[in-house]
Amino acid sequence: MTAQKRRNASLLSYLGDAALPLGIVVALLALWEAAVHLLKIQPFVLPAPTEIFKELLISGPTVILPQLHVTLIETFAGYFAAVIISAILSVLILYSSTFRRGVLPLIVASQTIPIITMAPVLVIWFGYNSLPRIIITAIVAFFPLTIAAVTGLKSLEPQFIDFFRSLNATPAQIFFKLRLPVALPSIFGGLKVAATLAIIGATISEWVGASQGIGYLIAQDTALLNTTRVFASLTVLGVAGMALFGLVGLIERLSMPWIYARPSMAWLRASQNPRAPAAAVARPRQ
Amino acid sequence: MDGVRLQISNLHSGYVTPDRGLVPTVDGVDLALNRNEFVSIIGPSGCGKSTLFNVIAGLLNPTSGEVALDGKEIVGRPGHVAYMMQRDLLLPWRTILDNVVLGPELAGKPMDAARNRAAALLRRFGLEGYENSYPSSLSGGMRQRAALLRTVLCDRSVVLLDEPFGALDALTRATMHEWLLGIQREFQQTMILITHDPDEAIYLSDRVYVATPRPMRFAGIVPIELPYDRGRDVTMTPQFADHKRQVLALLRGDKGALDALH
Repeated sequence: MTAQKRRNASLLSYLGDAALPLGIVVALLALWEAAVHLLKIQPFVLPAPTEIFKELLISGPTVILPQLHVTLIETFAGYFAAVIISAILSVLILYSSTFRRGVLPLIVASQTIPIITMAPVLVIWFGYNSLPRIIITAIVAFFPLTIAAVTGLKSLEPQFIDFFRSLNATPAQIFFKLRLPVALPSIFGGLKVAATLAIIGATISEWVGASQGIGYLIAQDTALLNTTRVFASLTVLGVAGMALFGLVGLIERLSMPWIYARPSMAWLRASQNPRAPAAAVARPRQ
Repeated sequence: MDGVRLQISNLHSGYVTPDRGLVPTVDGVDLALNRNEFVSIIGPSGCGKSTLFNVIAGLLNPTSGEVALDGKEIVGRPGHVAYMMQRDLLLPWRTILDNVVLGPELAGKPMDAARNRAAALLRRFGLEGYENSYPSSLSGGMRQRAALLRTVLCDRSVVLLDEPFGALDALTRATMHEWLLGIQREFQQTMILITHDPDEAIYLSDRVYVATPRPMRFAGIVPIELPYDRGRDVTMTPQFADHKRQVLALLRGDKGALDALH
């Protein structure tokens, strides 16, 4: 089989993978459209998909996107704050047993507070600007990220530490050259969950004490029974969430080439190097 | 034989449990290793051989006894010997070239020189063309060869090998034995091998130390009188069979049978 044929085959199977969920979405939209027309459902209760699409074209560029811009800035700011907080917390949890026993239970307990109820208080503290919303976004996003990072940093097999110690490695070398790379898959799992939570956190935080943002727009439109534009905003929000998730996934792939390196690369290399034993190439990747 | 490299004297080790007190794992071990020698320690599984290696590597403090390398005490001080463990322990996120230069990298040595030296040795270790591959695309034998190259590039005067071929199939293992012996001779390495395979121990070694079950002691030492340059066919000679009888007799704790041989 030539490399070109392999590529075509993998492209076909990729399209095949995408066809099924796309088909389901199209079928559901058709069912929705038919139900709205046949059952004569009022648009303020449930607008038809075609109406939502029209609304997207009309108010998407002029109304929804500028508000999304505000929300995305809060999302990114809160997300980066969460990443920095998690990095500090996970190192403290890993290396300080006092911190692990004294502070970790409090952090876990704090997660049972529905953080969104804190929004009005944060507005009183920090004023009518984006700071309270950035704080809420960070609080919502940091927890799963910290837990994922700690799990990853602890997942190292002790034999590897013994091996590094036998080479007289320093604690810093053991952390950066051993623990961190081992933890990366787990950390990226946490980063993906945190990305979706951050955008949800930023949106919901705009329901209280905000004067702009896509969450504010949704709250306003709901009050005005402009349900069609609410659905249009939700569609935009969904696409933005998927894009954010995809962006983190892309960084993940670029950061861990040893996991995502294409299996066909070994095959290519072997064909260029006739001395390379075939057995090593035929062995399937785990 | 020009001088003692590693001298282990009256080494005791053990661990403390609440109900049984001090449980000995190594019970008075003496071992002397000369420059460029290859010795094996053979014994039943779990007899404390790995404990002994951890002590020599400075990872574990013994209860008593001395370990001297080139006349210097090294108890509790890691970094003086190269230690190749049972699993290859290659780092999956590093390419083969980046894996094998780990020793010089952790020691803060100049990396350009280390890489050049490693690249020049890849062919001898059967890894040519794989310098930029990740370990996951290599076979078990290749991974062990990469791990050994990494060990050699650590530039330590003594190399500890803890059952490095235990996980390989019999055919690959036989090939690796011949190849390892070649490497040991060519790079003038001083090596100690832990194994529970008598053939492996006899074929590779100048001397075989036979260990008792836990706590570990040496039941006897079998000097191997095979030619220095030995091929695989040496395993078919009567001399080899004699050595195997000696080793097996000691492993069974049958001292009388051993005396009868001499």
